[in-house]
Amino acid sequence: MLKVIGLDKSYNRQKQSLKSVSFTAKPGEVTAIIGPSGAGKTTILRSVNQLIRDDAGQILLDDTDIRQAKPAELRQIRHHIGMIFQNYNLIGPLTALENVLHGRLGAKSTLAGILGLYSTAEKNEALELLKAVGLGDFALQRCDQLSGGQQQRVGIARALMQHPKMILCDEPIASLDPKSTKLVMDILRELAQSKQLIILINLHQLEIAQTYADHIVGINQGTIVYEGPQRALTPEKLQAIYRQAPTKEVSAHA
Amino acid sequence: MPNQLTPQHFFRRRRIQLTVILLILIGIYWLSMALVNFQTMTALTQVPAGLIWLFKNFIPTERSLSYLSAISFQLWRTLLIAIASTICAGLFSLFFAILGAKPTAPAPYWHLVIRLGASLVRIIPVVAWSMILLFSFKQSDFTGFLALFFMTLGYLTRAFTETIEDLDPDKLSALRAVGATYTQCVFCGVLPEVATTLTSWLLYMIENNLRDATLVGILTGTGIGFLFNYYFKSFRYDAAGLIVLLIAILVITLELTSTKIRKAIA
Ligand SMILES: Nc1ncnc2c1ncn2[C@@H]1O[C@H](COP(=O)(O)OP(=O)(O)OP(=O)(O)O)[C@@H](O)[C@H]1O
Ligand SMILES: [Mg+2]
Repeated sequence: MLKVIGLDKSYNRQKQSLKSVSFTAKPGEVTAIIGPSGAGKTTILRSVNQLIRDDAGQILLDDTDIRQAKPAELRQIRHHIGMIFQNYNLIGPLTALENVLHGRLGAKSTLAGILGLYSTAEKNEALELLKAVGLGDFALQRCDQLSGGQQQRVGIARALMQHPKMILCDEPIASLDPKSTKLVMDILRELAQSKQLIILINLHQLEIAQTYADHIVGINQGTIVYEGPQRALTPEKLQAIYRQAPTKEVSAHA
Repeated sequence: MPNQLTPQHFFRRRRIQLTVILLILIGIYWLSMALVNFQTMTALTQVPAGLIWLFKNFIPTERSLSYLSAISFQLWRTLLIAIASTICAGLFSLFFAILGAKPTAPAPYWHLVIRLGASLVRIIPVVAWSMILLFSFKQSDFTGFLALFFMTLGYLTRAFTETIEDLDPDKLSALRAVGATYTQCVFCGVLPEVATTLTSWLLYMIENNLRDATLVGILTGTGIGFLFNYYFKSFRYDAAGLIVLLIAILVITLELTSTKIRKAIA
């Protein structure tokens, strides 16, 4: 169970990007964070695994506060949190297999990691994961020669290689066509259910969130304006989530 | 305000700007030529005569072939020094670039320190490096090696830093998110991403250093540069011409090879 309590973050003094954000995400469920551009979705997700340092609050994953972890502990915690991105962020010149094996880096000594000393069991597992996401034939292909949808599936396999408790997804389908979108979202939903993972996912596309998410967190200008089950999301609530600050909109056009 | 500008207006203004710039450039040219007492027409008429003299004296003859073994030996040594200095400087540059590039700098001030250091090294031209190093290391191959080393270090540190900074920092975030250590991020993420670009830079610098090694050799009295200077001063122009010819052949061969390598690894 992931519990975020009273999270604050400001990148600079003028503006607070997160204002006392609290929400919960349960294992076995897909939790979607929705909201307009600039609302703070990416900021929340990157705070959860401390890629950015927030200002105050608590982030409890199974009752340990990630924010209080020392560097070595943080590394261990990150090892069990997968992350996938809009632009995949694979190492392009390396093969799909090598990229999946990177999922083991958090569990390896620095030296074993940089020398690429992976056990046969690890290599077999990576290969199995690639097969599971339908890329068995592409294992030894350079990643920058794969299509977007294929790269995203390599990203998922890398996350799974971490034996994660939770997978964070920052707009994983924003650059994909409808077919790849369905493929990726089906995989994620299936994973949540079969492995009892926490899937926390930022989404721009409301229909996708409504189709796939069990739990919805709506955010507007750094403040949570809705949290609840997907089916309880009414048009009024949606309006509150996607409401634009009128003055800002006008000044942006001038 | 900008929407009042019609295309006709815009292009007329652009033409006037270009004419003015051209006139200014011509003016600067005439002014500087007047200052050094250089007359364009007389200079141009002297060019053919100069070229003819060059061709008459510098064309290698059969007699020059007797110098071939001495020349090839020095050419070989010069090539080795160019390669060795580039590769050594390349290793150091990579180290400094990782410390100095924004996405990989251990702390922000490293970026400034290394950028500044690389600029300082680069400010001093290779000729000046040779002269400075001559004092401490005397006339030896090592002096030439060091001069090329420092110049290359300055250039490659800058080039490598910029290559690393062109990387999408999110790719490194992805590795940090996996739980990778700093060193693992560098070796598993940064290096594979930049390897081909860095190799291109190395090959380019080797070509460049072969040319510069000749110049450095003249100054430090070593290698092919020394031999050229020696033949030249003892009026054996045909042998000096042979050296120029062989250097040209070597440089071209090197360029063709490195183009091939670059294509192969891209
Ligand atoms: N590195 C940064 N430096 C300064 N301000 C930032 C930085 N990153 C984000 N912000 C600001 O924080 C706010 C939230 O940004 P964030 O990226 O979390 O939004 P988002 O909901 O992910 O938007 P999008 O849907 O466009 O990805 C925005 O107002 C943005 O301008
Ligand atoms: Mg975002």
